[in-house]
Amino acid sequence: MMTFLDRILLAVALLIAAATASAQPMRVDNAEVELIAAADAVVPGTALAVGLRIRHDPHWHTYWRVPGDSGLPTIINWQLPAGFTAGPVEWPVPKRLPLGPLMNFGYEGDLLLPVQLAVPADVPAGQTVQVKARADWLICKDVCIPGGADLRLSLPVRAAAAPSRHAALFASARAQVPQPAALDGASATIEAGRIRVAFRPASPVQRLEFFPLEEGRIEPAAAQTLRTEADGASLYLTAAAPSAVEFTRLKGVLVANGGPAAGDKGGWAGVIDLPVVTGVVAQVAQAAAAPVAGDGGATAMTLWLALVGAFIGGLFLNLMPCVFPVLSLKLVSLTQHQRAEDAAQLPHASLRAHGGAFAAGVLLCFVLLAALLIGLRGAGEQLGWGFQLQTPWVIAALTLLFFLIGLNLLGAFEFSFGGALASSSAAQRLQGDRLSGSFATGLLAVVVAAPCTAPFMGAALGYAVTQPAPLALTVFAILGVGMAAPYVALTWMPALLKQLPRPGVWMLRFKQVMAFPMFATCVWLLWVLAQQVGIDAVALVLGGLVLAALAAWAFGLVQTGARRWRWVALAAAPLALYAVFAMTWSGAASSAGDLAKVGEAAGWQQWSRPAQEATLASGKPVFIDFTAAWCVTCQANKRLVLGRDSVRDAFARYEVTLLRADWTNRDDEITRELARFNRNGVPLYVLYDRSGATHVLPELLTERIVLDALGRL
Amino acid sequence: MLRRVFLSIALLAAVPLPALAQAIAGQPAPSFTLTDLDGRKVALTDLRGKYVVLEWTNPSCPFVEKHYGSGNMQSLQKRFTAEGVHWIVINSTAASHSEYLKPAEQKSWLQKQGAAASIAALDADGTVGRAYGAKTTPHMYVIDPKGLLVYAGAIDDKRSANPADVKTANNYVVQAFAELRAGRPVSAPSTQAYGCTIKYGS
Repeated sequence: MMTFLDRILLAVALLIAAATASAQPMRVDNAEVELIAAADAVVPGTALAVGLRIRHDPHWHTYWRVPGDSGLPTIINWQLPAGFTAGPVEWPVPKRLPLGPLMNFGYEGDLLLPVQLAVPADVPAGQTVQVKARADWLICKDVCIPGGADLRLSLPVRAAAAPSRHAALFASARAQVPQPAALDGASATIEAGRIRVAFRPASPVQRLEFFPLEEGRIEPAAAQTLRTEADGASLYLTAAAPSAVEFTRLKGVLVANGGPAAGDKGGWAGVIDLPVVTGVVAQVAQAAAAPVAGDGGATAMTLWLALVGAFIGGLFLNLMPCVFPVLSLKLVSLTQHQRAEDAAQLPHASLRAHGGAFAAGVLLCFVLLAALLIGLRGAGEQLGWGFQLQTPWVIAALTLLFFLIGLNLLGAFEFSFGGALASSSAAQRLQGDRLSGSFATGLLAVVVAAPCTAPFMGAALGYAVTQPAPLALTVFAILGVGMAAPYVALTWMPALLKQLPRPGVWMLRFKQVMAFPMFATCVWLLWVLAQQVGIDAVALVLGGLVLAALAAWAFGLVQTGARRWRWVALAAAPLALYAVFAMTWSGAASSAGDLAKVGEAAGWQQWSRPAQEATLASGKPVFIDFTAAWCVTCQANKRLVLGRDSVRDAFARYEVTLLRADWTNRDDEITRELARFNRNGVPLYVLYDRSGATHVLPELLTERIVLDALGRL
Repeated sequence: MLRRVFLSIALLAAVPLPALAQAIAGQPAPSFTLTDLDGRKVALTDLRGKYVVLEWTNPSCPFVEKHYGSGNMQSLQKRFTAEGVHWIVINSTAASHSEYLKPAEQKSWLQKQGAAASIAALDADGTVGRAYGAKTTPHMYVIDPKGLLVYAGAIDDKRSANPADVKTANNYVVQAFAELRAGRPVSAPSTQAYGCTIKYGS
């Protein structure tokens, strides 16, 4: 390859050559460039179509007006005779040009960038007009070479003009230039960095691409997913991270079915300029999105903790009263079998295979469960259910779930599902010694264990239902790994078997003790609910829990044979459900939330955009605490840092206006504001200085961090 | 935060969790460990208490040439390292790419240019580049003494490969430091980087 100096020398040599040649295609690096016109003459008082033609060598490209992750747009600087004016470059539809994890927008092959020149009426006929332009571009394959040329074009001035030999080229280039799109019902919605562009297409759309007309709005390399939905076509995009600007409009070019070049196959392109509104956007483009920078959602740390938690949870499953005996019986039988008959063979190979087969069975069962759950959730989302802690009924449902789990752990009633299988005769059937038997044991161990594992599975389900699909699948798989781990370990090291504690009453105690974390969770959920809907609604839910306890207790009696109690259970259960969910349709929720706003502390005002802008306009610094009652980190920061006297004194000293944006309930204005900072969650701490410049503080505050930030004011 | 909610259930305690390391200005800079061109380990966490500049480079890139050929990058390196800033030059070109340089080649190029960076390293597997979302060469990042990312983006506002533009450009790194030294927050904490695409491996 040429060195950079060689390239410059070559370019200079070519430029000198260009100065002497007129309107000849000129080779610069890996392209031939030329200034051409659509007509053979200039006609006074009319428009003249001229253009920069770039013929790229194979695999080389130049860039569109918005180049994507890297690159530079081609620039044309006109030097025109007096009275002439040049219009903007009419950019034809570009192509997506991926390079590794990055994406560019540009052109390959034969490109014409047309420009309209306005010819003044007073150009005397018979003259020759010289149109000159300096063109600069960046041409790249995977390596890039900046290129430039001084080009010119001479045309006679005549009363009438005929099409030039390039006229057809102009016609086809013009057809590629997108015009403002007249789309039926077009809208752009954003939620947590996910953007949905929707419209009702006049004819079916099989392929759709979006090219942004402004930088820093969407992530160029993110997958763009087209979905045909009930109300038309939807294209899912990913917002840029971080977005440096306020994202209020989405401007860009939509290219459908291969664009105008494929006009006979329904291809078209159009410019859109839509207001961006905050709303619900399904998570379709998210999985394949943002290959370079991590998205704002899943944090590596919490993911890691979730997986560790799942693994430990899986281990715990083995200690449940109905799992432990089954598994230890199976283990004992296998090891005895081994010793008796296969002593001559490889010592542990077969045993290990059994361990592996069992693990595979457990894993499969968990992954199937997760897949089922994700499918159900997908169906729920289609129906418009949101699984969010900002929705009071979700909190109420979770409270009920955890309360029932607690009662179950204490033994008020049993989950009868799989009860027959868990009986000893069923367990005996699992004592086969074939590999398929071990696989089935693994598969069934999960089902058999359901009476005891249900509480834990319930918690895992509650967690997974709020997570993206890949994470939910992973968490469940790890839960399975945790459950299978001791078994596999024991089959690999049978000596450990002797160390195993005997099944006994300790397991029952363990199960009962686990009920109390569940009740603690209920307390916390109810506290959140109180912030959302007020104390009246919480009282209603608590009443519902009492009824639920009655129903559960009666149900437990029925399970032990006292069948006449079933009427109590049947009567109490629907009443309990009614009481728990009553507030969602009673309207009690709407006003009661004021009771316990998170931002009640002295010195804090409720955030709103106008309040923020008014304060900033008066030249005072502003600190905004984006928070929610259900956010544990927010509460910790509030109590341990923001509430501290030293911090409050510092706020007062710097005359900082304190605003609190409470996201405990869903609030579109706050959601939008968070999105401006490329967040989809709280906490978020923003300090505006006197000039209005923002300083975002970390999610986990310390006194030092806040004081330092204030010190910089 | 939903995750956090359920985790706190799992952990049976209301433990606030540390924030994510993300290459977004105003947030903690992603931590990394690199092996420099002489084989020494360099960890970002060891540089706490100092300002750190990350400069993504690729000697074959005309935009890098623009800033080294004009002496711009070297003078920035000299000026800021003299002020106690740790300046780290990182090349994330994949070993499979034709523009990949071996450590010795990268080193001799830097020497020939008269570069004055504190540390230079290769990141051929692209781990650090991807963690920061580095897209182009050059792509600049400034990390403050507390480990917060305070600037991410272009080196300056003249998006060209023309060395003559260096003189008239507004250098965002210089601007960021001027504001930081004056005790003000960085007014343009993130800009659109320009330059050659970083040649990451697949």
